[in-house]
Amino acid sequence: MLKGADIVLQCLRAEGVDLVFGYPGGAIMPLYDALEGSGVRHILTRHEQGAVFAAEGYARATGKVGVAMATSGPGATNLVTGIADAKMDSVPLVCITGQVRSALIGTDAFQETDVFGVTLSLTKWSRLVRTIDEIPEVIAEGFYWARSGRPGPVVIDIPTDMLKAKKEFSGPVKFTPHARPADAKAEGGFTDTIVALLQQSVKPVALVGAGAKLSGAISRLRRLLDDLNIPTFATVHGLGAVPPEAPYYLGMVGMHGTRAANTALHDTDLLMVFGARLDDRVTGDPSRFAPHAKIVHFEIDPAQLDRVRACELAVIGNLAETIPAFHAELQRHSLPDFSDWRAVACGEERAELDPRGLAQPTIRFLDELFSRLPQDSVVLADVGQHQMWAAQRYRSSSPRGFITSGGLGAMGFALPAAVGVQLAKPDTCVLCVSGDGGFQMNIQELATVHRLGLPVKMVIIDNKYLGMVRQWQQLFYQRNYAETDLSDNPDFVEIAKAYKIHSFRLKEDAMREFPVSDDTGDKIDRFLRSPQPELLVFDCAPEANVFPMVPAGAALSEMLLEEEPAQ
Amino acid sequence: MQSFQIRYRNTQGTLMRILNAASRRGLDIPTVHAEAGERDHHIMLLLDVNQKQVGQLYREWYSIADVIHVGAMHSAAWASPYPVAGATQEEARLAARA
Repeated sequence: MLKGADIVLQCLRAEGVDLVFGYPGGAIMPLYDALEGSGVRHILTRHEQGAVFAAEGYARATGKVGVAMATSGPGATNLVTGIADAKMDSVPLVCITGQVRSALIGTDAFQETDVFGVTLSLTKWSRLVRTIDEIPEVIAEGFYWARSGRPGPVVIDIPTDMLKAKKEFSGPVKFTPHARPADAKAEGGFTDTIVALLQQSVKPVALVGAGAKLSGAISRLRRLLDDLNIPTFATVHGLGAVPPEAPYYLGMVGMHGTRAANTALHDTDLLMVFGARLDDRVTGDPSRFAPHAKIVHFEIDPAQLDRVRACELAVIGNLAETIPAFHAELQRHSLPDFSDWRAVACGEERAELDPRGLAQPTIRFLDELFSRLPQDSVVLADVGQHQMWAAQRYRSSSPRGFITSGGLGAMGFALPAAVGVQLAKPDTCVLCVSGDGGFQMNIQELATVHRLGLPVKMVIIDNKYLGMVRQWQQLFYQRNYAETDLSDNPDFVEIAKAYKIHSFRLKEDAMREFPVSDDTGDKIDRFLRSPQPELLVFDCAPEANVFPMVPAGAALSEMLLEEEPAQ
Repeated sequence: MQSFQIRYRNTQGTLMRILNAASRRGLDIPTVHAEAGERDHHIMLLLDVNQKQVGQLYREWYSIADVIHVGAMHSAAWASPYPVAGATQEEARLAARA
């Protein structure tokens, strides 16, 4: 006879789980009681949101399912932002929540929340366990849905009496999904259509999103792009999918994309999308997005098609299968000479990708930092101006080398996520770049970093503002800086010291000379090479802005390239 | 008004997920009728939607784990130049080359 809690843990082990993140509380205490000797290591964060973001970081860095645990009521509701984040960014995540005992459900008992209902629209699949007998099937099915197709979040809510109850346990089970007509995928017929479209095209481009990475199709995609040799760019989650040194690569596209990428996307007559949903941050005004283009959309999740702009040809299926099929067909044909178009799209403006020494001090600082990183480092960015600067400047060839909350844009993501990444990759340099606003949203996770002795390298770009909001206020709200002033920030260096984490401050003046002084370079090198956790606070000019910028609702061709008020 | 018929397994939350696909878009649901079938459950929804929303709803319902089939009574077939989930490859190819 095993308790429900033991069955849960055995089922987790059967799914390959050896690490979970969480925070204990009343209703989930039986599960915590069973942890010791289960083979599942638990990482105690200092807030449930820290736990779910850490689980996400682990999942994003490895491709495995991240697992977060919390108790009922406030514990469960504190997971909600992470669940929404995982839904938006296609992160495989299983959240296990304790629930009040079965007899109390629906009575507004102490710490009772309908977490099943609360998360219904945010999850890919969820269950409230009703009997101990269900536990093995529910966990197997939950992990199946978290991993399958477009990955996403799952919630499994278990009443505390189910965790305490005992039953004969014959072992974990496997889940076999029912076949559905909706699971139909692309047949071979699409390939000759795309070749025909390419042969008619004069200005084709390729856009790479997260789906290319999630499908494990990166090497195949890179070979295809090399053969296509057409201007190519990436969404924020597509960064790293294409080697930055590829001669046809134009960097990031969208609201803060490069001029070259946005211009090519506006001018193209054939847009090939590989695993991106074309959200508003990529398209700008949808009615003026790629106005001359036909769109071919490679996508695993049909629900992502035509949300903002209709595509002419949907290629539904796993990119690991559809890309090779298309590539094989392509190799049997010759394509028009796109060299004139490539020269225009990838011409002088491509130099913008690496104007080291020309940029403002904060960008120079990030350039210095990134250029000194060991190979295969992982950079995490929180949300805001520093996120976009980092996305613009970090040039990684590693598909999982840049991690950020892109779809939801959840401030406070990066620090706890870095905990998960560092645990997944203990020998990798993990660099966490945050703003002063976002860092304070999960600052308590410094305690987790310290307790585990994780050598996470943390950077705060401190402009003493909620910088991205302030930038919008400056450009679109007549400099009415309403409630974005953080000039009374605490001393982050002293705070880190209180958590027993070494920290120091770097003034912006250190970046005014180029190349930087040996002293500054040595400081950055020591920071990155330290075997301990480190915090570097970089003083950023309060009114530094991120450019290029496509104002909300504008077309990609209407980028602001410098600081001038929008009309 | 557009009438949709959806067949689904009556697992926890599936009906709510079907309805939520409409309500999250701010759509009124003037008529809804759900009942148990021989093996599965059926729901009929009447919604005031445009052609683009039809395609989006169709695909979002199909992305729900326990939805088996989505059908719609529509006046002008798939009038848009883009394919919907479940459209044949031939339809998609013709649309793309149009």
